Parts: sequence; C-alpha cells; structure tokens
Amino acid sequence: MTIPTRRLSLVASAGVLALSTGVAWAQDCPIKIGGMAPLSAPGTVVGGEAMRDAMLIAEEDINAAGGVLGCDIDVVIGDTEGLPEKGTALMEKFISQDGVVAVGGGYHSSVGVASKDVADRLQTPTVFAETWNDTITGDKQKYIFRIAPLSSWASSTIWKHALEIPGVEKVAILTENTDYGIPAAEETTRGLESGGKEVVTFSVDIGTQDYAGIVQRMKAENPDMIIVLATGEAGYNFQQQAADAGIGSLDMPFHAGQVSLESKAYWENVPDGNYAFVQRIGVPENLFTEEGKAFAAKYKERTGKDAVESYAMEAYDSIAIIAQAINEAGTTDADAVVAALEGIEHNGTLGKIYFPYGSGKDPSEDGHGDEYWHQWPDVALTVIQYQAEGENSGEATIVWPDAYKTGDPIFVNQ
Amino acid sequence: MRKQIPNIAGGLFLIFLLIFPLIYGRADYDYIMHILITGFFYAILAASWSMLSGYAGQFSFGHMGFMAIGAYTTGLFCHYIYISPEPTGLCWETGFFGQWLVVVNPIGVTSTTLTQDCLRQALAGWGGGVEVTSMPVPLGILLGTIMGGIAGFLIGMLVLRLRAAYLALFTLGFSEILKATISAEIDITRGQAGLELPPLYPNGVTWFGSYFEPTDKIPPYYTMLALLIVCLLILTWLARSKFGLFVRALREDQDAAAALGVNTVRYKVLVFTITCAMAAAAGAVQGHYVQIITPNMLFLLQMSLVVAMAVIGGIENFVAAAIGAILLQVALELLRNSFVIGGIEVDMTIWRLVFFGILLMVTLRFFRNGLIAPVIHYFRREGVAEETVAKRATLTGPGGGPHRAEAPD
Amino acid sequence: MLFWGVIVWMIVWGVAGSILIKRRYLARDLDTSNANFVGAMAGASLGPVGIAALWTKTPKSSNFLIVGLGLLTVLLVAVTFSFADPENICVTSGGFVASQFVNGLIIGIIYGFMALGLSLIFSILGVVSFAHGEFYMIGGMLVYFITAVWIPGVPPLLAVMGACAIAFVIGAVFERLMLTPMYHGKIDRPVEYGILVTFGLAFTLQYFVQALAGANPVKAQRFLSFPRWSWPEGADPVWIKTSRGSMTLFEQVSISSPRFTAAITCILVLLALLYLLHRTWTGKALRAVSQDREAAAIAGINPDRMNMLAFALGGMIAALAGALLVQAFSWLPQVGAIPAMRSFVIVVLGGLGSLPGAFVGGIMVGLVEAAGTGCVPDPQKAASYIPAYGMIVLTLTLLLRPTGMFGRRFASGAHGQF
Repeated sequence: MTIPTRRLSLVASAGVLALSTGVAWAQDCPIKIGGMAPLSAPGTVVGGEAMRDAMLIAEEDINAAGGVLGCDIDVVIGDTEGLPEKGTALMEKFISQDGVVAVGGGYHSSVGVASKDVADRLQTPTVFAETWNDTITGDKQKYIFRIAPLSSWASSTIWKHALEIPGVEKVAILTENTDYGIPAAEETTRGLESGGKEVVTFSVDIGTQDYAGIVQRMKAENPDMIIVLATGEAGYNFQQQAADAGIGSLDMPFHAGQVSLESKAYWENVPDGNYAFVQRIGVPENLFTEEGKAFAAKYKERTGKDAVESYAMEAYDSIAIIAQAINEAGTTDADAVVAALEGIEHNGTLGKIYFPYGSGKDPSEDGHGDEYWHQWPDVALTVIQYQAEGENSGEATIVWPDAYKTGDPIFVNQ
Repeated sequence: MRKQIPNIAGGLFLIFLLIFPLIYGRADYDYIMHILITGFFYAILAASWSMLSGYAGQFSFGHMGFMAIGAYTTGLFCHYIYISPEPTGLCWETGFFGQWLVVVNPIGVTSTTLTQDCLRQALAGWGGGVEVTSMPVPLGILLGTIMGGIAGFLIGMLVLRLRAAYLALFTLGFSEILKATISAEIDITRGQAGLELPPLYPNGVTWFGSYFEPTDKIPPYYTMLALLIVCLLILTWLARSKFGLFVRALREDQDAAAALGVNTVRYKVLVFTITCAMAAAAGAVQGHYVQIITPNMLFLLQMSLVVAMAVIGGIENFVAAAIGAILLQVALELLRNSFVIGGIEVDMTIWRLVFFGILLMVTLRFFRNGLIAPVIHYFRREGVAEETVAKRATLTGPGGGPHRAEAPD
Repeated sequence: MLFWGVIVWMIVWGVAGSILIKRRYLARDLDTSNANFVGAMAGASLGPVGIAALWTKTPKSSNFLIVGLGLLTVLLVAVTFSFADPENICVTSGGFVASQFVNGLIIGIIYGFMALGLSLIFSILGVVSFAHGEFYMIGGMLVYFITAVWIPGVPPLLAVMGACAIAFVIGAVFERLMLTPMYHGKIDRPVEYGILVTFGLAFTLQYFVQALAGANPVKAQRFLSFPRWSWPEGADPVWIKTSRGSMTLFEQVSISSPRFTAAITCILVLLALLYLLHRTWTGKALRAVSQDREAAAIAGINPDRMNMLAFALGGMIAALAGALLVQAFSWLPQVGAIPAMRSFVIVVLGGLGSLPGAFVGGIMVGLVEAAGTGCVPDPQKAASYIPAYGMIVLTLTLLLRPTGMFGRRFASGAHGQF
C-alpha cells in the first residue's frame, strides 16, 4: 500500500503546486490572460461580443507596443453564458487548463459573485470589468479588483436623476430576478422613497417574451415614470410592449435598461424608443482621454459600430491594466501582480485608474464601506437621452449630471 | 471466452478510471478531473434514467427535477441550519442535546455587505467567542436522496394511469413548475443568483495518510465514482432479480402483466422511487462539488443532454448509458476548441452541439440500441443466436416473439 | 389567509372526491372515465355535500354535469379571492380586468393556433413533436432575415409566406428521413421514438440557427402601422382610437398592432385550414387517417403521404405563429422553449389530437396566464411564476381527465393509449 499512497500525495501536491505557482509559466511565451464575456444566451450576447472585441483589441495594442516581460500576451476568451455555474467552471478552466496568469472582463454580476471565489481560491489576480454587485469587492478578497462602478453608485445615479424630473410622483420599476436586478431595485426604491416618491416593483424571469400582462398591471398603477433594471433582450421586449400599451418612453419619462446602449439593436428592437433615458458609464466622447480616443477609433473601425460602449472600454482597460501590472511587477507571480495592482496608476481609456484601498489602506480609514476595497473610485456615471429616432448612443445628449451635461432633457410628460 | 470480452473491457475501463487521478500529471489536471467528475454525474443520471425509461418504459422528462430536489434539499439544509452552543436570541432556535439548533432567517439576494442574517449578527455580537457548527454534508446528501425518493414515490403514485406521451408531458410539467418556483422564491432559494453550498469535504479529508484540501479534486472524484458504481450495482442487482423481470413486463404490456399477476402499481412506483433517489443523490453530491446551484440546471436542454447520452450509449442498457455519458461528456468538452477550415473559423462552442444533435438523430434512426450497447451485445450473444433458433424451432415455430437487447449482466 | 384556507379545503375535498367517486363508479360498474374529474370538482365546489350527493345518486357523468361543476369551482375560487383580497386590482377595476381579458384572448388565439399544429401532428402520426418550438423560432428568424437582411423592402406578407414554405420543406424532409421507420412496426415503441427524434431535431435546429445567426436579439418591423383615427368623433369615452403602434378600445383596453395583425391572420388561416380539412379531398383523407389508419388505407388513401403532409403542415403552422410574432417580440435562437411548453399545455388541456380542443385550449391558457399575471397580489412574484401557471393546468388536466376537454379516448394506432 505504500507505493500508491506516496504516488497519491505526490500527484496531489504536484497538482496544487502547478496551480499556485504562476512562476512556473512566467518565462513561457505567450503570457496568457483570461477574458470572461457572455457569448451565448441567456447571457447578454450583445454586451459579451462588444467586450470580446475590445479585449482582443487590447491584446493587439499591447503586443504591438512590445508585449509584456518580452513576451506577447494571449487573451483567452471564454463564454460565461451569463450563468453563475458556467462562470465558476470557466474560471476553473482558465486557471487550470489554459494556465492564465490573470483574468479580466466579466459582465453579469451573478457570474462575478460566483467566480470571484474560484479566482481568489486559486490565487489568480482578477480585474472585473462590468460586474456591479457591491459584494464582489465587499468581500475584501486579496486577488479581486474592479473598475466597474458599484451597484449602489449606479442605482443612486438612476434615482437621483429621477428625483430631478418634474411631475414624477409614482415610479414603477421592472427588474429581473437576479442578483443584479433585485438589489438594484431595492436600492433604487430606497433612494426614491427618501425623496418622497411612491414606488412599485415588478420582477420578471429573464427569458420572458410576453410582458403584456405585466404592462397592463403597471399601467393600472398609473405611474409617472418607469425604470427598467433588466439586462438582455428582456429590456427591449418590455420597453416596446410598454410603448405599444401607451406607457413607453414617448408617453412618460422612461429609464431604459443597460442593453439600450447598443444603439443599432436598440432601434431595431424598440422602434418606439425615442426619449428614453439610459445610464452610461464613462465621460462623453469629447472628453475622452488620448487612450480613449485611440481605442474608440480602432474599435469603431473593427466592429463597424458608430459608438463605443462603456463596457467595451472597461473590458479594454481590464486587460491593459493587468498587462501594466505584470510589467511593473516584473513577474507573473500572483502576489507580485496584486501588489503592483494596488499601487498602480494606469492611464486607461476611462481615465486614470487606481485602487486606493487594499491591503495597505483599509476603506474604513476613510469612512468608506468594505465595497471600496480594490475598487476604482472615480468612475464617471452619466445619464443620456435618445432625442432623435435612430440616434447613436455615443452621440445622444448627456442630460445628467450637470458636470458632463451636453444638452437639456426633454420631458415628454410636459 | 469471447463472451467475457465486455466484462474484461469494462473491468479495464473501471481500473483505468480508478487509477487515472494517480497517474495523470499534466498541467490541466484539475480541468480534466472536473470533466470526469461531471461525466460521472451525468453517467448516474443517464443510467438511472435508462432504467426508468428504457428498461421499465416509464418515459420521464422530469429526471432533472428530481436531481434538483436532491441538490436544493442539501443546499437549503446546509445554508439555513446550524448548531450553536449558545442561543443567538435573534434567530428561530430550539434546544438540541445541550446545544442550540439555529434556523437562519433568509435575507434574499443583497448587493451590500451591510445586510446580515441573524446568525451573522449574533456572531458579530459575540465577537468571535462562540464557534458555530454547520450541518454535516453527508447528512444533507442523505436527506436530499431521501427527499428525491419521496418525490419519486409521490410522482410515481400520481402517474399510475399515464403512459407514453402523457407521462412525458406530466413529468415535464412537474420539472417546469419546480424550476419556476425555485426562480421565483428568491428570498429562500436565491433564484438565478444561485445557492452556494459548502464543499463536499468542508474541512478537507485524510485518505491513506494523505491530506486533501476541500478544493482538491481527488476526493470528489472518488466520491462521485463510488456513487456511480454503487448505483450501477444496485441497478444490475435489480435488473437480474424478479424486479427486473416485472418492470420489463411493465414496459412490454402493462395490462398483460397485471393480468398475469404482476403488482404493476407496486413495481411502477418502486422503479420511480429508486431511480429518482439516485438522481437526487447525484444532484446533491454534484451540488456540493460545484458549490453553486441555480434553477438553470432544470432547463429542458439539460434534460435533453441526459436523454441524448442515454440514447447514444444505449437506452435499454444502463451500463452502456453510463459509459456513453462519460465518453460524450469528455468529447463535448474536448471539442470546445475552435478550428479554422479554409479561412473560415468554425466556432466549436456552438457547432459541437449541432453535431451532437445530428449524432443523436442518426443514432436513433439507424442504431436503435445505441452505439455502445450493441458492441456489448455482439460479444455477449456469440453463439446464442444458433441456440435460440434451435430452441424456437422446437417451441413456437418461426418468428416466435420479438427480438430484444439483453439485460446487461 | 382566508383564501388559502378555502383553497386547502377545496384541495382536500377535491382529492377525496376524485378517489371516492372513482371507487363508487367502479363499484357500481359505471363508466369511470370522467369519475375522477367529476368527483374532484364536486368535492372542490360543494365539499362533503357534493361528494355525498354524487355518492348516493351516481348519475351518468354527462357533459352538463362536468361543465357545471367545473364552472362552479372556478367561480368559487374567484369569489373567495375577491373576498380575501378586496383591494386587489382584479376586483376593483373593471377596465383592468377587461384589458387583461382581451390580452389573454388575443395571445390565446395565437397560442391556440400554434398548438393546433402540434395537435394535427399528434392526431395523424401519434407523435408529440418536441421540435414545435424550434419551428416557431425559425419562422420568426426567417421573416427577420428575409425582410431585414436578404431582401430589404420585401412586403412582409411575402416574407411570411416564404418562411412558411421553408418550414414546410424542413418538416417534410425531416419526416421522410427520420420518422418513416415508425409506421411499419419496425420500432417497438414508436411514441418514445417520435419524442426522442423530434427532440434531436429541436436540439440541432436551435444550435444550428445560433451558429449561423448568432445570439443577438433581432426583431422585424411591424407589418402594419395603424392610421391615426378615432371613432365615434367626440364621444366619451371614445370607442376606438388608434395610433401608430396600437389601438385603444373605450380608453381602457389597448391592443398593439403586431398582436392585432397576428391574431387576425391566425383566425383567417384557421378558417382556411378548416376549409382544407373539411371540404377538400386531401383534408378528408387527413381526417380519415387520423380516425382509422387501416380503414383509410383500404379506402385508397396512402397513410404515409398523409403523415408527411401532417408533419410538414404542423411545423408550418408553428412557423407561421413565429413569423407573425417576430414583429411583437425580440427574437433569439432560444425563444422556442416557452411557446413549445405552452403548446404542450394547450394540446393536453384541449385533448391530445383534437383540433377544436387545441384552439379552445389556447384561449383558456391565454386567459389563465393573464389572470395569473394580473391577479397574484405580490407584484414581485406575479411575473416570475408565468411559466408555472400553464404547467399547473397541464398537470391537473393529466391527473383529472387525461383526455382533456375534447380528447378522444381511442384514436388510431398507439395514440389512444395514455
């Protein structure tokens, strides 16, 4: 019995070793970086494809600029399908099969929440691009970083903006029953109620096509404004059906779902979607950094789109910042990369990205909550409004906040 | 001697699976292990489903529903019930052999870390002075298996009158209702966000003097493999006993079987109970292995995967179904890599499923007993044909009864 | 609380009734096919009194009794609900109920039409097609690709017809390639074979479309924009008012243009289909095969050709439903799953193989779903449970009356077995 036992422990420890030491591959070229994106339903495929393109552009740019540690980088794209269990499996595959040294990207919150534990357990630095749930950084895990805004910031953008719209007393929220939708609806409700508004929330299963019943119910509540907190095509389906029933964005202030930033698909799926408000991350295109402008040009040329989505920029930055951190660390060793990330100042497409709180300085020292851990604090959040049919989200008027405003909002209820 | 070839091959395959984790040492070790563990999981489902549907003729589309019952039973059990030496004063609790059995209040899906359930609040209040014990995972898995068995028993009772298409639709309806309920009751099940489970061995495990971390793949590998072997042994034993004879009679002609004195009610319910308990056990173990469960595992496509695996392996032979499941799971994962033909990139993440569907249809159309079962059958039946022909000639004359795949033994 | 109390009471007596009355009918050697249903409804609506009455009298379970007791049960649930939750919008607002009703009716017509195809296939081939949702999906996808990508500017009607033709061909080819061995006893369990092989088709079609078309949501432009119009002028309330995308009746009920055109088209095609089935030789042959395969063969009808026709026609009907709804909903390769489930519910409720049953069943399922989404008090959950409402109808029907509303007990071949 002794031989198999020894063999067993030997292999087991070899397996663990192989995982924990990125050093073993440090000199192997190319250096692999994982890129997570939802590329098939029920995930938000439009978002995922934009992120994939952006991450591949990042790979080209970095390699064109000489790569990392004398190596080219190779961004391995993986499909999360928007499902938490696929996300964990993908993270595991990235790290153990593909041998990535760090992971970027990520769109759905539920995927982020589930897969971050795998990344932390397997000690792989991960920079999430577009996962908003506060707990992703709120768990204060050593290897987890984020450049997306916090869900609570995003919600507060929505409700603060809604509070400034005249003539709104009652708000109806449509949310999806996921860990993006439910907390976001709760926070938005809390915010609106603090401003003395009445709120009613309807939650739906993603994948529902027919919203007629819900739309009628919402209409019977007589809301003055509707906020959609559903990702994916659910946002399109609901908005157009609401418009058909006379409570669309042509009839009352209407805050559309994130997916409405995909202008081409938006106008195809929601022909009556004019005057909708949409939240957008990042500054308007005329205030872009040099990196932002260069990326936007390349991205538009590559994809044939007229505008660059915020999550594409976040995805690009998540890869670029990892590359810079590896360069600064001088190794792909996970702990060194984390140390480099904590001290990084990265000129990204979204602006100067840095992580002020981490092992060196706890968020509580500045009176912040745990969710500020490894979190980029300067994300710009704006609200745009489509003011002409067929308009591009990149050129749509920014109506909030005042600092970035490019035009006055049109209130259809007046 | 040739009759022993399937047994020898099966034995070799089993030995290979048993020693594989010890001899394989490449960098993608964890990933390959993950594929195999999931393969065993599907093998249990496919084998028990082929017993239910192929062998006993009870064509069920609710198998994933029973799997989910197992997974969610243990998930909720481990998620909400704890043992504490001190009363928390916040949660619902009751005395339990000098300790306190604490039922945590569901807080649903939250975004902030500020909302804490009552036990976390109590723990914060104690300031680390009190150790709370979570429930043992094996107990959860056992409970899940029992719940699956009970659910199988109840469904079996309800569907006594239903056959063929009606049975398929009823079980499909059951599975869909379950899925909608899990998705909608977010407060308790956490819906699409997924319920997190403790690992299979939360404190690691020591086997043969080697200590394994909770995240090591070797313990779940052998656990799942053992469960598969146990399930196959039970199924084989059942198939060889009177039970096997009777459930096959159920499939052939329920009324005739009843007329001949087979207690059809009892065997129909029994076969449901046993196979559903197996599915639930597999679900519970898999749930603890992947540590997150969502209602998406109830998608019809997931069920179709199990069905397809069983069909391609051999729907009336559960050993073949299990082997088919393992091989197909491995093949599906390895085919993920895209390739380029003539400048056109073929995205294999999706195309592999198209080919899979075509393979399923072709197998059904041209290889009715699957692709693996006939191979076993070929060696098994060596020389039997002449014997049977001779027997039939004396007994019934030509064409004496339908020709069927034999039960594995 | 009151509501759930009454529901539990009804369930307990319903179960008791279905068991007891079945026993009683068996003991007295009467037709037991409806005993379960009648017993359950009597128990649920009238409690022990109803069961006792049935027990002593054991009347022949006539249609009158069945429908009467069924309606009484539904009424009782509705009344209890309105007492338990008097603030509920379903109780207080007539306009809301009307709009939900119209919505349920319209979408029910479309669902019923789609389920008709499934029922047609079942009545001729004895196969429950699990690929029905995928035919629905390709119908919509084809219309989108024809109108928006391949030939922009083509009239929607042509695109719909094109989609139907392609779906018809796919159905016919599939039937020839895969289903033919079923008919001549080559397969010992044809029902299961049919389910599995159509399942394979569903799997293949869905991923094939995804591989080719990607998974972006697409949508066709609406086929018809209403003119701005209202009638009668100056009335209060205005009876009919139309705007570009929708039509409003009595300022309460709004019907969107895509749904309106889809429902009207469905009714027209249904009429054409009825004409085909009852007034043409082919249709009569189809019906003959569904009633008795052997007798039809003796009468000179080739049942195999009818099989092909029925499967192709059934698939085409589903594709037509999809082709009409792609202007109302965003389309993905996965959209087929929910309508397919709903079709199963409908055909089971109406009676597997029954064509009028499918249509009536469709409307009923549409109404049940509308009532479910409209009346469940907690708005957070009302919509999340949408997929479950129909499935509850399905399981209840199968338990109480597996033949459904209009089902025949014995159809030709294996279909009669349940």
